[in-house]
Amino acid sequence: MTVALPSKLHPPLQRTKNVVVGGWNRIGSQMQFYVTTLGSIPDALINYRAEGLRLIAQMGLGTAALAMVGGTVVIVGFLTMTTGALVAVQGYNQLASVGIEALTGFASAYFNVRLIVPGTASVALSATIGAGATAQIGAMRINEEIDALEVLGIRSITYLASTRVIAGVVVVIPLYCIAVMMAFLASRAGTVTIYGQGSGVYDHYFNTFLSGRDIIWSFFQSIAITIVIMLVHTYYGYNASGGPAGVGEAVGRAVRTSMVVAAVEIVMITLAVYGESGNFHLAS
Amino acid sequence: MPQAENNDLQRRAGGIFAVAVSAATGHTRSPVALSPTAITNGLTSRALRKFAPKSSLPPPANRVVGAPRVTVYRAAKPVRAVGDLFAMALDAMVLIFKPPFAWREYLLQSWFVARVSMLPALMMTLPYSVILTFIFNILLTEIGAGDFSGTGAAIGTVNQIAPIVTVLVVSGAGSTAMCADLGARTIREELDAMRVLGINPIQRLVVPRVLAATTVALALESAVTVVGLTGAFFFTVYVQHVSAGAFVAGLTTLTGLSDVVVSMVKATLFGFAAGVIACYKGISVGGGPAGVGNAVNETVVFTFMVLFAINVIVTAVGIQFTVS
Repeated sequence: MTVALPSKLHPPLQRTKNVVVGGWNRIGSQMQFYVTTLGSIPDALINYRAEGLRLIAQMGLGTAALAMVGGTVVIVGFLTMTTGALVAVQGYNQLASVGIEALTGFASAYFNVRLIVPGTASVALSATIGAGATAQIGAMRINEEIDALEVLGIRSITYLASTRVIAGVVVVIPLYCIAVMMAFLASRAGTVTIYGQGSGVYDHYFNTFLSGRDIIWSFFQSIAITIVIMLVHTYYGYNASGGPAGVGEAVGRAVRTSMVVAAVEIVMITLAVYGESGNFHLAS
Repeated sequence: MPQAENNDLQRRAGGIFAVAVSAATGHTRSPVALSPTAITNGLTSRALRKFAPKSSLPPPANRVVGAPRVTVYRAAKPVRAVGDLFAMALDAMVLIFKPPFAWREYLLQSWFVARVSMLPALMMTLPYSVILTFIFNILLTEIGAGDFSGTGAAIGTVNQIAPIVTVLVVSGAGSTAMCADLGARTIREELDAMRVLGINPIQRLVVPRVLAATTVALALESAVTVVGLTGAFFFTVYVQHVSAGAFVAGLTTLTGLSDVVVSMVKATLFGFAAGVIACYKGISVGGGPAGVGNAVNETVVFTFMVLFAINVIVTAVGIQFTVS
């Protein structure tokens, strides 16, 4: 038996409407997920402490092939080391072309703290602990383990997402310290050892312009970025669909989104903290 | 257990060798090329016996002797993975020049990578170039050289922001999707089916993907540079109140054609490396949905590490030609 469907009025219009409404609803469901996750953090701290500790250990060391190359610590250290070396390479040569290569130490103290370390750390965290979280939660969703958790009476968002946000914030504290250290050391080694600048010149300008206040702000910036990255990544993992390929696609989408969001967040926080004038005094 | 691992090792070593032999002799479409059973006879087997590592000898009767070998086998796993990656990259590079070339797949993949990368690339460039210009301008205004803000923007955008954003987007958006796609095919044994049908998956699937990633990275880098400079222009002129003419005049003070060429070389290398790593992780995946997820995660991490390393090296080499 065939059933006649009423013909839709203005199909292109309907399609546009569905796209717009779909996008709007997705933003709504994302916001709902984020608010639920953040709101459940006290609950996770009280009830799922063991899971949180397990995740902290796992995120610090990485899993499978990532643990084999040294885990998250080594990956973050390596990435910031390359970008720190970039300050030496690009900074020293560009400054030398206008005759002020003595200021490379200043460039290291200024650009590393304000821009390069938060930027690189956001990328590294999104690739390591963020993508790892999406892959794990996505595989759980595909294997219907999340439904099983709900049936067992475990609040899945609290158990999976909130604990990961907490673990991410805990893990990022030592990671940030390593990132800053590696960036400074790589800049110094590149300038002093490879380009042959006197270490006294470098250290003088580096120590003169290194501002403790900037470092503390940069640290808080990194923590804020981590929270957003973990939220985005857990959302995409939690809502993965479409079999094995779906998990991979969710990881890709999450990495893409979180990198864009982190970039916007860095700009917003920098402008908010330093203001339009930059709050920077060369002479004092 | 040692027997099984030895077989596995033998098969892998034979597989790589067979591909290299077949690529060199031109029998790329032969189903023998990657078939695990075929390596036990004929030329490949003789060659294999000659080059085979010691652990592919028959397992010893005494199990105590066997245990350290298993440990060595496990410990050497990352090294073998790197070797496999290079073997696949070599195969792909040889097969680029072997007809038939998979044009349709290449065009589809290029379009796909461009489609998923375009928007994130532009959305990442704007914040990064704005923040770079902002931080540069603070400094320049402080020393009374605000008119040179265009110079700072050009150095930062052309030399670093554009290549790095291209890296991040091509590996974060393009290669993750490629790896997920190939990984899903691998665990559904579609690649084995292709080999049985006499189609070389490296030629049919990997070569077009690697070339697509390379082409799109190059094109994307150009777009990102233009968008970044435009963003920096509007931010500097309308937010930081630098004269528009001074900004535009300052653009080419320290940055010239050679910088743009080095930047494009960087983007091309990045695209190639990202494509190769994504395809390798995709075709060597195992273990169901969790395996695909982990493979994609590893793709992101390894591409970022390789690409940042390439960036430092190419910058250090290129700067010898660009800064006078």
